[in-house]
Amino acid sequence: MDTLRFLLERRADIAAQTAEHLFLVAVSIAIAVVIGVPLGILLTRKPSLATPVIGFANVMQTVPSLALFGFLIPIPLIGGIGNTTAIVALVLYALLPLLRNTYAGIQSVEPSVVEAGRGMGMTDLERLRLIEIPLALPTVLAGVRIATVNAIGLATIAAAVGAGGLGNSILRGLSMVDSRLILAGAVPAAALALAADGLLGRFEKWLGWDR
Amino acid sequence: MNRFTKLGAMLLALVPACSGERPVVVGSKNFSEQVILGEMLAQLLEARDVPVERRLNLGGTFICHRALLAGDLDVYVEYTGTALTAILKETVSHDAEAVYRRVREVYRKDLGLDWTEPLGFDNTFAIAMKPEVAEKLGIRAISDLKAHEGSLRPGFGHEFLEREDGFRGLVAAYDLSFKNPPRGIELGLIYQALIEGEVDFVAGSATDGLIDKYGLTVLEDDRSYFPPYDAAAVYRPSTAARVPALAEVLELLEGNLDEAAMRALNRRVDDEGRAASEAVASFLAERGWLGAGAK
Repeated sequence: MDTLRFLLERRADIAAQTAEHLFLVAVSIAIAVVIGVPLGILLTRKPSLATPVIGFANVMQTVPSLALFGFLIPIPLIGGIGNTTAIVALVLYALLPLLRNTYAGIQSVEPSVVEAGRGMGMTDLERLRLIEIPLALPTVLAGVRIATVNAIGLATIAAAVGAGGLGNSILRGLSMVDSRLILAGAVPAAALALAADGLLGRFEKWLGWDR
Repeated sequence: MNRFTKLGAMLLALVPACSGERPVVVGSKNFSEQVILGEMLAQLLEARDVPVERRLNLGGTFICHRALLAGDLDVYVEYTGTALTAILKETVSHDAEAVYRRVREVYRKDLGLDWTEPLGFDNTFAIAMKPEVAEKLGIRAISDLKAHEGSLRPGFGHEFLEREDGFRGLVAAYDLSFKNPPRGIELGLIYQALIEGEVDFVAGSATDGLIDKYGLTVLEDDRSYFPPYDAAAVYRPSTAARVPALAEVLELLEGNLDEAAMRALNRRVDDEGRAASEAVASFLAERGWLGAGAK
């Protein structure tokens, strides 16, 4: 009851932080998709690059987020204190699921289907556009879904470098040992993650209809 | 001398630990000065062959306080003003002596904890700006911020944003309302954010070595908003009774660390990049405090 009243008192703060949080996640996922999906497709055409590139994305995934911020801060242009550092870090974390799912999705398209396209005289680009990408789409979307849910959780750390978001409440709550304040950040973050997961899941289903 | 004596001292320190004697647990909050003070307590105890467990860099005032209350810590250094307003939730007073007496009394009576005499320095909050920005805008004191509340961008540690004697009290005392909401930034990064121009002013500590290093302008607290923050060790009396060397170490520090000494120590760590343990060891050697029984 007390907690509920506290959350109500803070609703303006929580709403503002949720908006900042969504902004960080949306921008970084958009950038990660623009980089990750074409790169994943490129890797299926140049398989020798696949191991090092996916390996790099794998390594990024293992760097603890606070350490990654620490590395980024001194770098000019992409580092510093504020949104940029947070977005760069979130993009780096989102790359792995996007790259791997795009690559695996296209690799797993039945070779005989691709062969049929070739038999019909399709060029490489046409096969990609008309056969491989449509068939790989569910796997790519699953990658977007994983990356988004991950990013919503990770973006709570962005408050450490002054990028705002729901992590603000969580870090303040931790410094004051005030669990209500921690909840004020953690509950909306969890709700956002569930909502994003649900929406993207529905989108996947909706796309699946005409198959 | 050094390596073997050090190893010897470490082994000696292990002996009582192995024989089941409970180590003295020393804590600190998560900024350099606190880690230095925790390290100082720990090294002084170890020089007296007392086994020590360091739990330094804990996440802030409230975590240290809770841990001390719960008996997970035996001693850490607290500031009178912080204890009065942030822990005991009492109203701000500007009489340093009265604040000290009040917190010691309440700690003894209600919490079963004790305070040493003040160590000798006042680590009050310092609102700092880049000197060129302060000069350009003609800002000398905190009340001068009023004229620029539409454009200035504040940035603070997360604890300052939440505690009563932090940002909320500051804007109330000076009747400020900033158009840009304050940015919450990890405490260790606030000076960097200021130097990079991400924010225009920050709240640091008066004893921060980085204020000297960057030559920052500290705004005058012209309405005496910030209470006195005299540093003193808070400890569990039962531990001091059990370990006489703890009482001895605490007494040694009372009144013996002034602001200049603390700032110099902070600077060794924050500016010169030395490890807290090493900075403290050389400081203690300079003062001749490591010889057992030295006073």
